[in-house]
Amino acid sequence: MDKKTVTTISYLSRLKIDGEKEEKIIKDLSNIIEFVDQLNDVDTTEIAPLKNPLEKTAKTRKDIVTAKNLKKEMLEVAPSANEDYFLVPRVVE
Amino acid sequence: MTIKYKSIKEIKSMISQKEISYKEIIEEVYKLIKENEDLNAFITLNEEESIKKAEEFDNNSSNLPLAGIPIAQKDLFCSKNLRTTCGSNILNNFIPPYSATVIENLENAGCISIGKTNMDEFAMGSSNETSFFGNVQNPWGKNLVPGGSSGGSASAVSAGIVPAATGTDTGGSIRQPASLCGITGLKPTYGRVSRWGMIAFASSLDQAGPMARTAEDCALILNEMCSHDEKDTTSLEDEIPNFEESLNNSLKNKKIGIVKDLDLSSLNNDVVEIYHNSLKEFESLGAELVDISLPNLSLSVPTYYVVAPAECSSNLSRFDGVKFGMRSEDVKDLEELYVKTRSEGFGDEVKRRILIGSYVLSAGYYDAYYKKAQQVRRLIKNDFDNAFKNIDVIMTPTTRGPAFEMGSKGDDPIQMYLEDLFTISANLAGLPAISLPNGNIQNKPIGLQIIGNFLDESTILNFAHMYQNETNWHMYTPEGIKQ
Repeated sequence: MDKKTVTTISYLSRLKIDGEKEEKIIKDLSNIIEFVDQLNDVDTTEIAPLKNPLEKTAKTRKDIVTAKNLKKEMLEVAPSANEDYFLVPRVVE
Repeated sequence: MTIKYKSIKEIKSMISQKEISYKEIIEEVYKLIKENEDLNAFITLNEEESIKKAEEFDNNSSNLPLAGIPIAQKDLFCSKNLRTTCGSNILNNFIPPYSATVIENLENAGCISIGKTNMDEFAMGSSNETSFFGNVQNPWGKNLVPGGSSGGSASAVSAGIVPAATGTDTGGSIRQPASLCGITGLKPTYGRVSRWGMIAFASSLDQAGPMARTAEDCALILNEMCSHDEKDTTSLEDEIPNFEESLNNSLKNKKIGIVKDLDLSSLNNDVVEIYHNSLKEFESLGAELVDISLPNLSLSVPTYYVVAPAECSSNLSRFDGVKFGMRSEDVKDLEELYVKTRSEGFGDEVKRRILIGSYVLSAGYYDAYYKKAQQVRRLIKNDFDNAFKNIDVIMTPTTRGPAFEMGSKGDDPIQMYLEDLFTISANLAGLPAISLPNGNIQNKPIGLQIIGNFLDESTILNFAHMYQNETNWHMYTPEGIKQ
């Protein structure tokens, strides 16, 4: 874990790390990764990953329309919207 | 008549004896909230609506199982028309247009949601020191943490403000604060309670559950919280028993698994002594102790700190300042809108976990960390599956010690992560587990954890209730023993 890695993962996370906090973040992340590295000592040959304790495939629902038109309610909680759309800064010049 | 420190069972009896009106109950709740403002247990109150509901119950008698029972809702459950922040600045202004299934189920059973409780930001923390809305105080002593992440819920029940509250538990967030605040808290089997409308942290681990004064009250609430929910694809369709019915079953010849791989030497001596005293109590109730082996248990914390951050980094990508929540001002383009909003909206611990998650999921590291952790997760679950072939429950201390002072874990995140040493494995394996008070250390409560087999909440509630019939640790309050 170094400055370059932290720059990459903060870009992937869409987070900006303030200059004064960078050193502390590098130290914390290094310690955490070092801590979880003990997993590498375990032999997991031929052990299938467990993604979810239920191990069931997501259940499908009957194809019945239950959704209501909540456009107005959803747009109302947006930081910026007009009658039909969420508004964001211009994307295409 | 007062409802302070009263259980749901006691309040129901006061109502049926006409010793108190519904409105008087709710008015007292708000009086108690004001008297206990220092606890900082609540983020948002629902006073006007709650009084209105209580008046309706006074005017029209009701047969609902929890009619008029005041309940505090963790601020992680979406509540229609009532601000829901998840303890974060990024949701500071969020008023959901719908309610979580848990809230709907409880309100349909008659509960009155009196307010939203403080919590660690996005449920990431074990001391309630990461909330944007400030630390929560443990009613048992000045500057003591209530535990986390359901710290506000635990504190409010412990102070006797409400008989019960909802919590959520991803790695111990119901059981650890229950232990530190001297109350009873249950994390159900993964899939037992709908996650719809719960703000997601780690979707394969998150589960909602009740926090109350007694195991019996936990059973009453769990009866109403559970439902099969089409809106949650991991919601189980298995039959939901009446959890009250088996509370008084005999424990004779029931088998308690004692984990021989558990190293108790690093614990506070008093914790170990209290734990052993509880085991003796269960033996006197007819249960047998059986040594079991969970050889991979010590890998729970490192496994969790790969799986949980990975899922969190994915889940929290929805907070981008576009559709809901806060949006930062003065941005020049869409990219900056995302980055600035997230950087200003999230606190340090949340950022740390998102970064770890992005790291373990990134190209080149996925197999080494994320896949590896999921493989070890299976080994941990296999250990439990093997153990439960011969036993009914497993017992461990809930926490390494009683409540600690705010700020005392320093700024090393791993010290805080180890707080959940005993609780995390139940989340990784999806098993139900309860914490109940089993002793005091220098007038600070601590808890016993009982882990059950898959879908077997009834048995852990049975064990907990029988213990509470014989002992009075659950009767202790910060003001002394309850009369």
